[in-house]
Amino acid sequence: MVSQPAPVLEVEKVETYRGPAQILRSVSLTLGTGESVCLVGRNGAGKTTTIDTIMGLLPSRSGRVRFKGQDVTRLPAHQRARLGIGYAPEDCGIFPDLSVEENFQITAWLGQAAAVTADDQVFAIFPEMKTFMARRGLHLSGGQKKMLAITRALTLKPSVLLLDEPFEGLAPVVVTRFIEAVRAIKALGVSVLIAESHVQNAGRIADRLYAIDRGEIIFAGRPAELLGNAEVMKTLHG
Amino acid sequence: MDIVVIHALNALLYASVLFLIAGGLSLIYGVMRIVNLAHGNLYAFGAYVSAWVVGLLVARAPEGASPSTVLLLLLLPAGAVAAAAFGALLEPTLLRPFYKRAEEYQLLVTFGLLMIIDDVIRWLWGPYPLSASVLFENFGSLGIGDAIYPTYNFLVIAVGALAAVFLWAFIYKTRFGVVLRATSQNMRMSSALGVNVNRVYVQAFTLGCLMAGLGGAIIVPSQSAVLGMGVDALILSFIVVVVGGLGSLEGALLGALIVGVVREAGIAWFPEIELAVLYLIAAAVLLIRPAGLFGRA
Repeated sequence: MVSQPAPVLEVEKVETYRGPAQILRSVSLTLGTGESVCLVGRNGAGKTTTIDTIMGLLPSRSGRVRFKGQDVTRLPAHQRARLGIGYAPEDCGIFPDLSVEENFQITAWLGQAAAVTADDQVFAIFPEMKTFMARRGLHLSGGQKKMLAITRALTLKPSVLLLDEPFEGLAPVVVTRFIEAVRAIKALGVSVLIAESHVQNAGRIADRLYAIDRGEIIFAGRPAELLGNAEVMKTLHG
Repeated sequence: MDIVVIHALNALLYASVLFLIAGGLSLIYGVMRIVNLAHGNLYAFGAYVSAWVVGLLVARAPEGASPSTVLLLLLLPAGAVAAAAFGALLEPTLLRPFYKRAEEYQLLVTFGLLMIIDDVIRWLWGPYPLSASVLFENFGSLGIGDAIYPTYNFLVIAVGALAAVFLWAFIYKTRFGVVLRATSQNMRMSSALGVNVNRVYVQAFTLGCLMAGLGGAIIVPSQSAVLGMGVDALILSFIVVVVGGLGSLEGALLGALIVGVVREAGIAWFPEIELAVLYLIAAAVLLIRPAGLFGRA
């Protein structure tokens, strides 16, 4: 049994559909305060659907999502964001025609957060962002888009950060850089839930892991326990 | 030379009104990805409301006296306000339930809305034209060389130009403009950053309807409000957005200028095929650059 900090996010028996197809089947997970948890699984296992359901971008047909004890299951995504759930999607969700600075300032302009300045703590995570503030989203590299997506989510000053495949498409050396960034975010007191395909990457960063396959949680525990579980590892590797 | 100036002014006059209608259509599409077939009738609705309000004032004026031009000018935007209010009511009630449906449902709903607004106009104001020509007459005419030109038309051109500048500044220089552009580029992500997308949609739709209504309001003193004017305007607006690019305000401006110039040239030199030439230009743009001159494929 793994001891856990008090949960800031609780997902309880959630069932989600995309069109007529059921994707999530009674998915339950928790995220503790200041904890980093990875949701690992193959492509199409249900990781993104889980993240989208938590964010409110996909409605769940049954089950509950609780944030800081509050039931947010029926709240729209913008209200969840305003409560303090940050989100960086797999495709980064960068606004192509907006400058990097405008991408940042949206949350401040909506009155959800103080305006982001170059001295802001969030820039300590990726200080190189300051060098391309005037560039349009369209002209950013893949790595720069990932940095912007994560930093932009942090401008909400979230308690929980949802990262969907944050290391996908990055060179191994850059992955290490991003793993350090996630550790730095955790050190700020932000709880991080990461959807990740590579168990090794997940093992480098997670306090705990959930393995998901065909929309069902098939494992919950420490990284070392997962690596030692041949049956689950076989499922994850197809 | 004078005749060239007159033709140029007429082209700008057409372009101003067309920009207001097509700009609104493009704004709504750009943000909400809805082709609003009822847009032309919101322009007509604005024209009718303004003509009706001006008519009420004229009817209450002492016999033989004309109401003050300033008062008439102040009341003229009533059509724009009414169209905006109508839009603010329509978006959440009739359009929102269809956003997640296929595009053909949205087209059917907005086409139905076009018919409904047409009948509402007929029911409220009857089948006869409604005029606000008193304002046009009060402005008088201006001599341009040997020719004379209605002074009121300069006001229409100025309103069109001001609307273009105002919209550009609003979209590119204000905080709301950034949120509007963000929502138009990625609605899901905007929502996940705390943007109330429903609110942005109703604001964008209202602004688009305000523009259409303003187009109707400013044109009605020089042309009466008549049944069917909305459909004619919608067709020309579609040519504008096909040429300029649906969803682009710059495209709507350039498209309106092109259609304005070609239409004026057509009326002057090849009236029999004026509309055919416009359709040919639209077809050529569709063939060479399907997204329009400023549109993004």
